[in-house]
Amino acid sequence: MSALLEVANLKKYFPVRGGLLNRRLADFRAVDDVSFALQHGKTLGLVGESGSGKTTIGKCILRLLEPTAGSIRYAGADITHLKARDLRRLRSDIQMIYQAPAASLNGRMTVGQIIGEPLWIHESLKGNAARDRVLELMHVVGLKEEHYYRYPHEFSGGQQQRIGIARALAVQPRLLVLDEPTSALDVSVQAQILNLLQDLQDRFDLTYLFISHDLGVVRYMCDEVALLYLGKIVEVAATDVIFEQPKHPYTQALISAIPEPDPDMQREEIILTGDLTLATGGGCPFAPRCHAQKLEQCETLPPPLLTIEPRHAVACHLHVDG
Amino acid sequence: MTHLLNIENLHLEFDTYDGLVKVLAGVDLSMRRGDVLGLVGETGCGKSMTALSVPRLIPMPPGRITAGRVQFNGEDILNKSESDMEAFRARHLGMIFQDPVTNLNPLFTIREQLVDAVLYQRAQGKKVPGRWRGFAPSARQLRKDAHERAVELMRLTGIPDGDRRIYDYPHQFSGGMRQRVLIAMALAGDPDLLIADEPTTALDVTIQAQILRLIRSLVSQLGLTVLLITHNLGVVARSCERVAVMYAGRVIEEAPVRELFRNPKHPYTRGLIAAVPQKEVTRGGLEGIPGMIPNLIDPPGGCRFHPRCQHTMAVCRQTVPTPVPVGEQHTTACYLYEAEG
Repeated sequence: MSALLEVANLKKYFPVRGGLLNRRLADFRAVDDVSFALQHGKTLGLVGESGSGKTTIGKCILRLLEPTAGSIRYAGADITHLKARDLRRLRSDIQMIYQAPAASLNGRMTVGQIIGEPLWIHESLKGNAARDRVLELMHVVGLKEEHYYRYPHEFSGGQQQRIGIARALAVQPRLLVLDEPTSALDVSVQAQILNLLQDLQDRFDLTYLFISHDLGVVRYMCDEVALLYLGKIVEVAATDVIFEQPKHPYTQALISAIPEPDPDMQREEIILTGDLTLATGGGCPFAPRCHAQKLEQCETLPPPLLTIEPRHAVACHLHVDG
Repeated sequence: MTHLLNIENLHLEFDTYDGLVKVLAGVDLSMRRGDVLGLVGETGCGKSMTALSVPRLIPMPPGRITAGRVQFNGEDILNKSESDMEAFRARHLGMIFQDPVTNLNPLFTIREQLVDAVLYQRAQGKKVPGRWRGFAPSARQLRKDAHERAVELMRLTGIPDGDRRIYDYPHQFSGGMRQRVLIAMALAGDPDLLIADEPTTALDVTIQAQILRLIRSLVSQLGLTVLLITHNLGVVARSCERVAVMYAGRVIEEAPVRELFRNPKHPYTRGLIAAVPQKEVTRGGLEGIPGMIPNLIDPPGGCRFHPRCQHTMAVCRQTVPTPVPVGEQHTTACYLYEAEG
């Protein structure tokens, strides 16, 4: 079975400008050589702390940002360099849902207009036909008919997120990029939205790229998880493998840092020192914070992402031999 | 037994253009010295407002306390004059907030801000008028002492190279380090009570783990009393001894942390715990709480949770349930347990 989405050696560098004539002094490597594949109907979690490049990857896939290098293949076709006209067609297949529901909805449009806009743009649907579709979509995401003429500010965060989801579904996409869809919500509402997303996935045969920093949510939602650190994938495997047998020291530390609502839980707590900082040397980007045994090459050689078991890859010098 | 902090039947209202918002409707909360109490609830349940009523930082108007008492060490706080209140805050309270960026002034170095905090605490109760303090003969010595204390506070809160980094500006620190600076500032006056309002919400999980460990170590080192406000049940489970759960302006359940998670009683507490994606929960197994937080301008009568509750009885709609004991040091305000109590 071929993958719906294949990302190969994706790089996105942002220029750091300064000095005389605002020259390009250096590159900030937001995404640095990232490859992964996402199977049809599955959910892949992209996990990392702020600044790890997870949102940048999502935006590159939608071509909201132009990748510096690498290729993105969607349903077998290379979409890395699509021109504007084809790009529009692509975007009815791939949609995005954003973190801040309030900021991603136009406050001067009614709910009906917000959800109807993509129908007009992509399918030239207007009038009663559009209205019927919008009402159907509102029903699907759990909004009521009387919400049609209301404005976003009249809704709570959870309902605003439902509006965002309905808007994304309007063009019948196959792949959804979900960028921290619940991190602005309270837990009881988060549970509602997560369940809604799972229902929609089953009902419309959707594929999800799920971007999050919350490992608990990722464990609940995803089939596979890729962990990012400073723009590189450090470990990727099936969800249960990541949580039961994490290999990379960073993965182990992140899992131990999940605040589980269980005061009796016995576990070794790994508390990392320092924070996300750019390593200056050529070694492993995680080396300055690593709590595991240090090898000589950790400081000098960047570890490659190696497959140690079928469908489990780790970028760590400690796991070179599998 | 005397309590360090005792909040009784606190009612707080806000005047808004839409009407009178009944933010707190009879909050009861007490803390002993050395307690680490977690105050949990969702957005708008009044947890921050309860905490802010202790240092009296709620803007009035539009806010108005219509009933209730707040006692600290047996003293009634609500009747104090504003200048007494200033001295009271400096001597007894420390406070840290959610956002470490907006709470530091970007135009001043950490040294200026920390030394200021220390000097302010030390000047309390002295007769020298504030503006002349810097010119008093001993000012030089005072500043030197304050500087040393500031460096010591930075060491205490785990900021490496404190003696050098104290000359840095806030933007030169990362989010986690800024939160440490704020904790250092809050500790400047050796407070009796540290109020931490969502101290880790803006931080990454690995940094959150560092800050929680720091707070725990300060509790054991300095014997601090901590009121930790959070929406994250996991954070509570990790760092508190007791938990009070709030819903729509009332404390609906209170228990030691183990008891609360093992044996939650109130339907809202149960729903809240079930809504967290935990290890054992498989696809489709997560339960949310239906409906949403009530509008506090026109809150539901009786138990404010009844429109979302699965066990609603006639009495729930009519009268407000009072907390009843349901276990050792475990109380809940719910009519389901009335008979047992």
